[in-house]
Amino acid sequence: MKPFVCFSLLFMTLMFNSLVTQAQLDPDKVCHIENGQLIFTLNLKWSEKEKKEVSKLFDLDSTLIAQVYSGKSVIVSGNETWKVKKIQGTLVELSKSVQSKADKSIRMNDLLLVVENWMNFAGNTASTTTVYGINNFEVANAFTYSQNKALFYLPANKTAQRVYISGTFNNWSTTQTPMKMMGNGWMVELKLNPGKYAYKFIVDGRWTTDPSNKLRERGDAGAYNSVVYCYNHVFELKGHKDARKVVVTGNFYGWNPRGFPMQPTADGWSLPMYLRDGTYAYKFLVDNEWMTDPANPAVRKDADGNLNSFIGIGESYLFKLDGYTTAKKVVLTGSFNAWDEVELVMDKTPKGWQFPYVIAAGNYEYKFIVDGKWMIDPANPFITGSGNFQNSFIALKANHIFELNKYPDARTVILAGSFNNWNEDGYKMVKEGGKWIWPIYLQPGKYTYKFIVDGTWILDPADKLYDQNEYGTNNSVLWVEPSN
Amino acid sequence: MKSGRIIYSLLFCIVVVAVAVSLSSFSLHKTVSTLPDAVNSPVANLLPAFNSGFYDPDFNLNADSVIIPMKTAGHLFLIEAKVDGEVGNLVFDTGASGLVINSSYFRNHVKSGGTTSTGITGSVGNVEQISIGQIEFADLTYRNLRADMANLGHIENRRGVKILGLIGFGMMRNLEIVIDPINSELKLFRIDQTGKRLNGKGTGFKPDYSQKIEGNTNILFLKGTIRGKVLNFCFDTGAETNAISSDCNKKIMSTLTITRRTVLKGTGTAGSEVLFGKMNDFVIGNHQIRDMETIISNMDALSEAFGTHIDGLLGFSFMKNGVLCINFVNKQFGIRFKKGEEK
Repeated sequence: MKPFVCFSLLFMTLMFNSLVTQAQLDPDKVCHIENGQLIFTLNLKWSEKEKKEVSKLFDLDSTLIAQVYSGKSVIVSGNETWKVKKIQGTLVELSKSVQSKADKSIRMNDLLLVVENWMNFAGNTASTTTVYGINNFEVANAFTYSQNKALFYLPANKTAQRVYISGTFNNWSTTQTPMKMMGNGWMVELKLNPGKYAYKFIVDGRWTTDPSNKLRERGDAGAYNSVVYCYNHVFELKGHKDARKVVVTGNFYGWNPRGFPMQPTADGWSLPMYLRDGTYAYKFLVDNEWMTDPANPAVRKDADGNLNSFIGIGESYLFKLDGYTTAKKVVLTGSFNAWDEVELVMDKTPKGWQFPYVIAAGNYEYKFIVDGKWMIDPANPFITGSGNFQNSFIALKANHIFELNKYPDARTVILAGSFNNWNEDGYKMVKEGGKWIWPIYLQPGKYTYKFIVDGTWILDPADKLYDQNEYGTNNSVLWVEPSN
Repeated sequence: MKSGRIIYSLLFCIVVVAVAVSLSSFSLHKTVSTLPDAVNSPVANLLPAFNSGFYDPDFNLNADSVIIPMKTAGHLFLIEAKVDGEVGNLVFDTGASGLVINSSYFRNHVKSGGTTSTGITGSVGNVEQISIGQIEFADLTYRNLRADMANLGHIENRRGVKILGLIGFGMMRNLEIVIDPINSELKLFRIDQTGKRLNGKGTGFKPDYSQKIEGNTNILFLKGTIRGKVLNFCFDTGAETNAISSDCNKKIMSTLTITRRTVLKGTGTAGSEVLFGKMNDFVIGNHQIRDMETIISNMDALSEAFGTHIDGLLGFSFMKNGVLCINFVNKQFGIRFKKGEEK
């Protein structure tokens, strides 16, 4: 399509939209209090979507709203009486008196959790969901990373007495990680796994972003933090020295053709970066010409028949199914690929089927599809769910094993906690060597949990830490520290 | 009934627990402070009776001031501390009077006293007091303290950080306190009997506006106005958002923008209406602060807990507007407003 036609169409669509949605919803103008009355100003022209939005923002019952739109003037809903009054044009006012006495049985924490979602947090430096990253330092030696060792350097500040580094790698500790005075600045070497980290320096008690680092992100409270990536992959393309521009792009970047510009080297092009553990499809764009990676034999066709290069970042796990040698096709499917039923076709071996697959540390559920029939992994004792809804469970790079050393004669022991929404049907612990176990991967943070032994909820007898819960009983507490 | 009301005081559980708890400690400390040893310290001498100098810290470095880098978790400010060997965080919560300790980590500590009982404390549940041998943070060490114990697990669950306790103004009352929320710094200065910084440390705080601190508690009450009406607020660094009483004058209520509402269902049939929005016309001194996020709720229970009528809480939404200086010795509160967007 010609750009002009596109533009005209876009313009017309916009015009049309503005005509039909005249009565646009401004959440700031819907509700106010006047003379002890809580008043909602609603527009009779609102679409269903806008009505739904208002109903959600202000917890107004959808039947209440429907009654307003049907023209009622007094509406009784629950034990509250609402009045409806037409004001100008298509606007109506829905009102009731402000509640003066609150229900005393509401738990404080419930309320805080509600308000939590309404508060405006400036940012969020969640590092675990980031798929890729490239650093942006103004000074070359301000940060170096090799063999899991990260070297941070803060120039100047010679008169400072004490300098610390604090970040996601040490739970933002203000005291754990001092820096050393070296030459003209302060230095620290940390053992870090590849990944994304937010950090700051603390110079004599004062938080300072890294002056050499241009990459910054806002934290919850609004202040900026420096951000650094510890690399785990280098894209390389030999030759093509006469090319003007070489970029790499892939599914990790939504196949954006802008790509990441590669840097010229002595014999070609290269780009070091961080990629989260997983399997990725990618291609190079050499002066806007697409090409697969000539140095990478792993090439697969996508759904449209295009060839892409593939890489696996991180350790691969070998999924295996013994037997079923007469089956025609076995597919691996699970929470790691959104239960795709075609993508991961397993390879046939003399003994059965196998498939090496790179996935990030985490907890996954999976099944095999043998000639169209779904089955759990017969070799894996760890199973979630019950009845027809069972899946095999695997914790990759598990960093904790829940253990219960008692009740060897129990029929079932379930592990339930904040990590699986207290699912009573979820993690069935496995008896191994006289004790019940469940390996799991957990992000750093606080977790509360309990065991359910033959239907009875119990605290972890081996964990001295516990919290009161809302039922007046207690929950066991587990803290997982950052693992670097 | 009183007990029901306090428990209901849902909104700012931190405040509620802390304040209710701390009111009981006032009475306990009162007896301590009449002992003659308070005379040994000239500063303590000037302090109101209930504050015995009990909480005076040692400055390890013999310095006259210290800058404490605070961590943030959501809109809470945390101070990394070691409490009797346990490492974790204290929430800087000026809605608490003194020190409140999380029962999860200290329930086996020696109890130094039980609830002293009257309505308020009893209603929070049985508030136990324990003895703490030593608290260290930044360059400060506190020894032999008495703390109130409460279950603070819900803050940990919401914020994912280990909370050893809450620390309020009572712990730093003999110092000049400068809170810089934008840079997450808490600065403490040693001061003399008149409230002046020792050895002329720094040039002193230059406020854009100051207000005399009234009352003799460890809780800071501030006067602010909305639509010309003077309101009494509690300055509460533990409140992650402001709050204003739904019982305020009608003119005041009409200035609020309501952006969210929900009805929380309890065991009662009515449920509890929670409103959230913005304070638009708040004025302190001659300075107007717009768009402060706020909860609109019944504040009776809080007022009861504080022992004085309050119209609201000034929490994070207020703090982030500038640098604040609190000096309980010369009874001055000052604020220097943020100029434009901070880098």
